[in-house]
Amino acid sequence: MRKRRFPVILIGLAVAGWLASCSVVQKGADILAESGKISESDRQSIVKTSETLRSTFADITEEEEYYIGRSVAALILSHYPVYENEALTSYINTIGQAVVFSSARPEIYAGYHFLILDTDEVNAMAAPGGFIFVSKGLLRRCANEEMLAAVLAHEVGHVCAKHGLQSIKKSRLIDAFRLIGTEAAQRYGPDELAQLTSIFEGVLGDIVEKLIERGYDRKFEHEADSMAITCAASTGYAPQGLSGFLETMIGDSSAVSEKGWFRTHPSPEDRLEKIKKDPASLKALPGEEPVRTKRFQQSLAGLM
Amino acid sequence: MRRSVLFSAAVSLFIILVTLLLAETLIVRVQSTSLRQNPKFYAPVVLALKAGEKVEKVSGQEGWVQVRTSGGVVGWVHSSAVEVQKFSLLAIDKSMKTQASASEVALAGKGFNKQVEESYRAKHGDINFVWVDRMLQIKIPASQVLEFMKQGKLGEFGGAR
Repeated sequence: MRKRRFPVILIGLAVAGWLASCSVVQKGADILAESGKISESDRQSIVKTSETLRSTFADITEEEEYYIGRSVAALILSHYPVYENEALTSYINTIGQAVVFSSARPEIYAGYHFLILDTDEVNAMAAPGGFIFVSKGLLRRCANEEMLAAVLAHEVGHVCAKHGLQSIKKSRLIDAFRLIGTEAAQRYGPDELAQLTSIFEGVLGDIVEKLIERGYDRKFEHEADSMAITCAASTGYAPQGLSGFLETMIGDSSAVSEKGWFRTHPSPEDRLEKIKKDPASLKALPGEEPVRTKRFQQSLAGLM
Repeated sequence: MRRSVLFSAAVSLFIILVTLLLAETLIVRVQSTSLRQNPKFYAPVVLALKAGEKVEKVSGQEGWVQVRTSGGVVGWVHSSAVEVQKFSLLAIDKSMKTQASASEVALAGKGFNKQVEESYRAKHGDINFVWVDRMLQIKIPASQVLEFMKQGKLGEFGGAR
């Protein structure tokens, strides 16, 4: 009987640990200490063990993600000029926000922002922290609002799933976390700052290399496609937006240029094959809506 | 040995039982967010909340949490805007204070922060942040998104499903 009780208690402990939150544990420990049920040292050790250490990309804080994203965005903008068109930028940001509201992570540190790159290359990129870019070349490929919304939802998906942050080399993160340490001081000393800046440069390099040169792992692209279909459909767009856009890229003569999406993404055929199997793409939703296509054409009129 | 295991197990379970009955404290983890009247992004805003502010959870539904501020104001925030401090009862005690937890770093504003960006910019004068800052100024009010969705028959304003 006694032998049986031991594993049950262990499981109970594990479940309890998993269920509760730090603040909850802290409060409970405080109450027990106040009522004299546990000693002050017991209270402290319970509260201490309730804090976990940082070890992976998932432990990067929202604010850190924002600062990494700012610099990644600045590096992207040093490769591409901006297409300045206030009305079109506002239109794209409005679709973007509508899509964000239905996404898996609508609230991030400084919100999502979208900008148009002045290049004929077909390209779209998302830096961590919600800095999203679409090229003029890509916009010209979209035939309607459904396609554009799907592309934006794909990029929002990369941010939601933190694909950029997952591209950072693990050893670099471990070095950074060790260096950041536990000191309460809010400002770094010169040596510490120099080391941290050099790690920061490495972090930016890891992400920008994936975004501009090599592309993400195929599984990340397929995941972003799947998230895009679900997200665009929840916003109310016809689920065929993404497949419609990918079809325009099949057999494209600019594919040989190996630029932009042709360089950094799996082939459109491969992506379409995966999308077909996605249950969300089969959802019975209304199709393309004429009123949306009309406003899309009006917004992009000057671009053609 | 067994007695101490049993004792700590009993204490832990007691704490959980006591505390699960209490309200949960959440911390705002984004720069700013809104406390809304209803669990919808375009619902009227009751109050603005800032990073690091603590609120008490009242209830929750599909991605939203109803919270009460320290001033007693009740409203809804999206769950992605708040977090509970991470913890693990199984964390190994020895390594405890060699590093900070994510929530400690967040509260102290440490890690990759403004100071690190300034240091990076001082080293790379050729990298321009002007458009990054301009990009952050693009703000679409929720009311405009709502109007856009209505006009485009999106979301709940769409046709039959």
